[in-house]
Amino acid sequence: MDRRSTFHWIILVLSSLVLLFILAPLIGMVLDTSPAEFFQTVKDEEVQDSVWLTLSVAFMATLIFSFMAIPFAWLMARYNFPGKRIVQGLIDLPIVLPHSAAGIALLGFISREGLLGKAADAVGLNLVGNPVGIALAMAFVSLSFLINAARDGFAAVPERLEKAAMNLGASPMRMFFTVSLPLTWRNIASGFIMMFARGMSEFGAIVIIAYHPMTAPVLIYERFNQFGLSYARPASVFFILVALVIFIFIRIISTKAN
Amino acid sequence: MLELKNISKNFGNFALKNINLNISKGEYFILLGRSGAGKSLLLELIAGLRSPDTGSIYLNGRDITDEKIQKRKAGMVFQDYAIFPHLTVYDNIAYSLKIRRLPRNETDAIVRQMSENVNIAHLLDRRTDDLSGGESQRVAVARALVTSPDIILLDEPMASIDTTLRDDVRRLLRKINEMGITMLHVTHDYSEAVRLAHRVGVIHNGKILQTGSPESVFSKPVNKFVARFAGIQNFYSVEIYRIDGKLVAESGNRKYILPEADYPENGLLIIESNSIGLSVIEQNDRDNCIRGIITELNRAENGYELFVDSGDMFHVVVDKKNLEKLSLKVGQSVFLSFSSNNLRII
Repeated sequence: MDRRSTFHWIILVLSSLVLLFILAPLIGMVLDTSPAEFFQTVKDEEVQDSVWLTLSVAFMATLIFSFMAIPFAWLMARYNFPGKRIVQGLIDLPIVLPHSAAGIALLGFISREGLLGKAADAVGLNLVGNPVGIALAMAFVSLSFLINAARDGFAAVPERLEKAAMNLGASPMRMFFTVSLPLTWRNIASGFIMMFARGMSEFGAIVIIAYHPMTAPVLIYERFNQFGLSYARPASVFFILVALVIFIFIRIISTKAN
Repeated sequence: MLELKNISKNFGNFALKNINLNISKGEYFILLGRSGAGKSLLLELIAGLRSPDTGSIYLNGRDITDEKIQKRKAGMVFQDYAIFPHLTVYDNIAYSLKIRRLPRNETDAIVRQMSENVNIAHLLDRRTDDLSGGESQRVAVARALVTSPDIILLDEPMASIDTTLRDDVRRLLRKINEMGITMLHVTHDYSEAVRLAHRVGVIHNGKILQTGSPESVFSKPVNKFVARFAGIQNFYSVEIYRIDGKLVAESGNRKYILPEADYPENGLLIIESNSIGLSVIEQNDRDNCIRGIITELNRAENGYELFVDSGDMFHVVVDKKNLEKLSLKVGQSVFLSFSSNNLRII
């Protein structure tokens, strides 16, 4: 047999095993859920509220933090400064932190004894057990995806285009909005989607910050803990399907605009 | 119009050193230099994209050394044009006009007029990512011109243009200059200088070596580097002295008769390749006639080039007619003859 062909077969088999590893549990879960169980879960108000909470808070967290993350990404792409590598390491830190540890860290920050918690308390807001707290947890663990994607996008924009814009009379802000940002939107969109998806699926940090109101991952865990696998499974299938539909929808939109 | 006074700039391992330059209004000035000589850096300093370490820049009588980029009125055309790929040709040209918040009809009129001037009116609705090099060049020029700059800075404008299209670009640049616009054009190509410039400067290792009209710079180069830019290939280190009443330049075993003038004791003798006559018999009526052997024979742009070893290596050009007439070939013994008036000492 041709050696090259054998190599391709090996690659094919290994790739299939990886795909199977991802798909098999998911397909198994769907097949183990009866249509009746599924539709009963879909109609369950607690499940609906939980899914809606998860999606809306993840979206708002991503949207609000993107206003800070995107200019920060531009700075990281364009400027060299002392300690830049340390700053980049800090950006990546939430990815490597255990999520429950991240939750504990955040709890200290947003509880009434913490810096942000005190400020919130002053306006009558308790961040712990609040969707705002959930949003902060989601953003904490997922911000790296948006910053890094946007940073890579800005770095790929030739600096001479920005120089040309300024030579034509554009202020730095105008240059950013009319040249840098439009040329990076694909990377930003991709980073936005990843940040949203990652935030949506967060469990470990959220369960520390805000067990209630329950996001979908927390609800699934609660059901598993209290009533076992068969009770948690339909909610899992529903949430995964919703997440998949949204994910594909956003991807299609960004691809079409591309 | 443009005056650079003692401009210096350190840039990594490179430095611009005490650059002094004056360009008059309406002048077409070409700065010639090899890659890495500091040409583009100098343009960036004038445009305000970088700041000099020392020195001053004056444009139209204004000190613009510390002026913001946006206010300088120095329009730059970058080497790879830097046209915005996400905008149409129209929007590229209109970019600076929109910043000035001109009324839409005024913007439209200016864009259309400028596009006519540079022959790209038919491209206004096109996206820029499928334009040819020449078309992109015209968009970049039009975009710079609509800002009504005091000077246009051109960074190697022919670098990405096909050889067959360079005449078109030269015509465009001449046309713009004839409209009264001052141009500072940097390049490594001597032929651009000869064809376009009112004055040229030669820059090397961050220093301007010589400025003047193309004729004066290339007929009287101050050193070997400048002479090489003019295409001169014949350089010989010589000692100069008088013998039997004649001035002689000696290089190794060879002696060359020089015209009467004041010379230093040592120098570099240069002679242009096309001022050397080549024959198969000795020419006793010429000041200088030496014998050599043809070591190399190659096609050249306007005929053939030969390398002749006579103790010193000479580069000579001949046309096809003479090549065939003399049946020149490698290994052949020939005589090189040249008048003393064609010799220069630098």
